[in-house]
Amino acid sequence: MVGNKATATAVKLARVQVASAFPVTPQTTITEYLSDMVANGELDAEFVNVEGELSSHVVVQAASRVGARTFVCTSGPGQLYMHHPMHQTSDNRLPVVMATVHRGNKGMMPDHTDLMSQLWTGWMQFYVEHNQEALDTCLMSYKIAEDERVRLPIAFGYDGYVLSYTAEPVEIPDQKDVDDWLPPYKAMPSILPDEVLPENLGGRWDRSDPQKRWQEHHEAIVNAKDVIVEVNESYGKKFGRSYGNGLTEEYRTEGAEAVLVAMGSLTGTARAAIDRLRDDGLNVGLVKLRCFLPFPKEDFQEIGKKVGAIGMIDRNVCLGHGGAAYTQIRNAIYDLEERPSVLEFIAGMGGKEVRVDDIYKIGKKTLKAAKSGGVSTSTEWV
Amino acid sequence: MSERINRLQIPMEELTITPGSACQGCGAALAARLVFKAIGPNAIRHRIPCCPDSTTAHPSANSVFESGGAMLTGTWRGLKAIGRTDVQVVGFFGDGGTYDIGFQSLSAAAERNENIWVITKDNEAYMNTGNQRSGATPIFARTSTTPVGSVIKGKQMRKKKIAKIFAAHGIPYIATTSVGYPEDLIAKINYGKTVEGFKMLIIQSPCPVGWRYDGSKTIAMARLGVQTGIWPLFEIIDGEKFKLNYKPRELKPVTEYLKPQARFRHLTDENISLIQEDTAKEWETLLKSDELGRVLL
Ligand SMILES: Cc1ncc(C[n+]2csc(CCOP(=O)(O)OP(=O)(O)O)c2C)c(N)n1
Ligand code: SF4
Ligand SMILES: [Mg+2]
Repeated sequence: MVGNKATATAVKLARVQVASAFPVTPQTTITEYLSDMVANGELDAEFVNVEGELSSHVVVQAASRVGARTFVCTSGPGQLYMHHPMHQTSDNRLPVVMATVHRGNKGMMPDHTDLMSQLWTGWMQFYVEHNQEALDTCLMSYKIAEDERVRLPIAFGYDGYVLSYTAEPVEIPDQKDVDDWLPPYKAMPSILPDEVLPENLGGRWDRSDPQKRWQEHHEAIVNAKDVIVEVNESYGKKFGRSYGNGLTEEYRTEGAEAVLVAMGSLTGTARAAIDRLRDDGLNVGLVKLRCFLPFPKEDFQEIGKKVGAIGMIDRNVCLGHGGAAYTQIRNAIYDLEERPSVLEFIAGMGGKEVRVDDIYKIGKKTLKAAKSGGVSTSTEWV
Repeated sequence: MSERINRLQIPMEELTITPGSACQGCGAALAARLVFKAIGPNAIRHRIPCCPDSTTAHPSANSVFESGGAMLTGTWRGLKAIGRTDVQVVGFFGDGGTYDIGFQSLSAAAERNENIWVITKDNEAYMNTGNQRSGATPIFARTSTTPVGSVIKGKQMRKKKIAKIFAAHGIPYIATTSVGYPEDLIAKINYGKTVEGFKMLIIQSPCPVGWRYDGSKTIAMARLGVQTGIWPLFEIIDGEKFKLNYKPRELKPVTEYLKPQARFRHLTDENISLIQEDTAKEWETLLKSDELGRVLL
C-alpha cells in the first residue's frame, strides 16, 4: 500500500466527519482516495472541495469547532499557503489532524521545509519513517489531539515520493478495534446556541493578561509528552505496534559510543548504515526523532549521558541558523554535566539522494568525535 | 421575493449586548442590531477582522480576514456532520472581507451553494485600519490611500457591482438593502430564512468617520444614497429573477448625496456629471430588469 493510501485508510478508520484538501503533488492522491471513499459510501463524511489550501484549512478549523472530527492534508507550497489560519486553529485549541506529504520549496522533491516552517504556529509535529507508521500515527494523532489534557492540533509528515507513491506492506487494523479504542469527538467548549455558556456569548474573552494564552498553550504542548507516551503504549497493546516511547525510537543503541539521529524516511536508510557499521565493529546506534514538537528534551539528555557524540542528520535548514533538530539537541544536552559532542549534518535537501554509504560515513565521523572529543562542530552538507 | 413588512413587524427583542465600541452614528452597528434581531437566537455568528459594530448574544466563531466563505462552509458542514442543521450559519463581514481579501473563498462557497448567510456591512472602505480604499469605495472618494493630491484626486476606479457578481454565481438569493430602510432589511432577512443555500445581503452602512459627515445624519445619508439611485435596493433569486424594491417617480440629483460628505468635497463638475451619468445608466438597466423580472448586467 502506498503512503497516501495508508493515510486515507487511517482517515476512514478514524471515522473523520469533515475533510477538506486542495490537490498539490505529492499529496494529491489522498484527496482522490478520500473523494472516492465518500462517493462510494465507504466513508460517511463531508469532503469539501475548495479553491485553495487556505480555505481547506479554515473549513476543517470551523468544522472542528462545532464538534466534527476533521482531516486536512497538503504538501510544500500548500503548507506554506495555509500558514496563517494554522495559528487560529491551535489558539482555539482545536484537535485538527493534518498530513503533510513533504515537498521542499526549491523544486518539487522532498525535504522538511514545509512543516518546519510552521514551528511557530503552536501545532504538534510528528515525522514518520514508513507507510505503516503513517497509518498508525494518523490514528494515534486523533487520540492525542482530542485528549482533554491536550486539545491541540497535530501535523504528521512523511517524505513525498519516497513514501507517498511507494508501495510497502501495511497492516490495516479492524474497524471494530479502532472504534473501541478511539471514542467519538466532542467540541469543548460548545458553540452551539443551546449549549454555549452565557459568558461566551458575543465572543468576548478575558483580555486582562494577554500573555496568559501563550503560556497556557506552550505548557499544553510541553505537557502533551506524557499523553503521547501513553497513547503509543495503548496503541501497542491494542494493535500490536508501537514506536519506541512514542517520542523517540532507538535502534541498536546498546553499548553505542556514538548515535546518529534521523527523521522521516532517512531513518530507514540510516538503519541499513548502522547495520553495516555494527558489522564492521563500529559501536554506533540510531535514534529516530519521531515527535519533534513537543521536543523530547529528556530523551536526548538520557542518550547524551551514555554516548560521546551525537550526529544529527537534519533534512531541513533554518537558513542562517542551521538544522532545527540539531539546534534543539544541543540545547537539550547543555544541562548535562558532561556533554557529548553534537555534530550537524544537513542531508536530502531538495530531494538530494542520500545513500547508505553517506550515512555510513556520517557514522564514522561521529564515532571519531566520540573517541577524540572536540571534533569541528561546523556544518557538513552531505 | 421578500414580503413587505411595516415598522410594527420589526422584532422588539434586542439581541445586542453591552454598549459596543463603535463610533456614534455608526451605520454598521445599526446594521448588526437589525440583522440579528431578524435572524433570532438560533445562530452562530462568524467574525473576521473589521470595525467593532455591535456585539450580539450569539455564540461566536472567528477566523482570519481572508477566510469568510471557508469558515462558514466549515461550520455548516460540521453542523451537518453532527446532525444540527437547525442552527443558522451567519457571517457578518465588512466590505473589505467581502469585495477584496475574502472574495476568493466566498466565490467558492457560492459555487458550492453552501447553506450559509453572508451579510456585508458596506461602509465603502477599510475602516478598522483607518479608512483605506476597498473594492467598495466609490469612484473619486477620498480615503487615506486614495488621497486628494495635486496630481491624483481620490479613487480612480469604480465600485465593484458585487451583488451582480455574486448573482452571476447563480446563488439562490442576494439582495441589497440599507440601514435607512429597516423594513426592507428585515423583510429580506425574513425571506432569506426560508431559503436553503447561499444567501447574501449587502447592507449600505454609512460611516460618519470615513465619509465625513455629522454622525447624527446617518439615516438621512443612507436614504439619500437610495433616493439618488446611488444605492438601489433590489433582490435577485437564483441568479436571475429580479425585483427593484424602491422605485421613486424621480430620482434626486446625486449632488444631494455627494455634497454633505467631505470625502467628495474635492469633486469637480466633471466628476459629478460622470457619477450622475453612471447612476442614470444603471438605474435604467435596473428599471428594465424590474420590468422583465430578470436581471440585466
Ligand atoms: C490578513 C490581514 N490583513 C490585514 C489585516 C488588517 N485589517 C484588519 S480589519 C481591516 C479592514 C477591514 O475592512 P472591512 O472589511 O471593510 O471592515 P470595516 O473595518 O470597514 O468594518 C484590515 C485591513 C488583517 N487583520 N488581516
Ligand atoms: S469608523 Fe465607521 S464603521 Fe467603524 S465604528 Fe466608526 S462609524 Fe462605525
Ligand atoms: Mg469597510
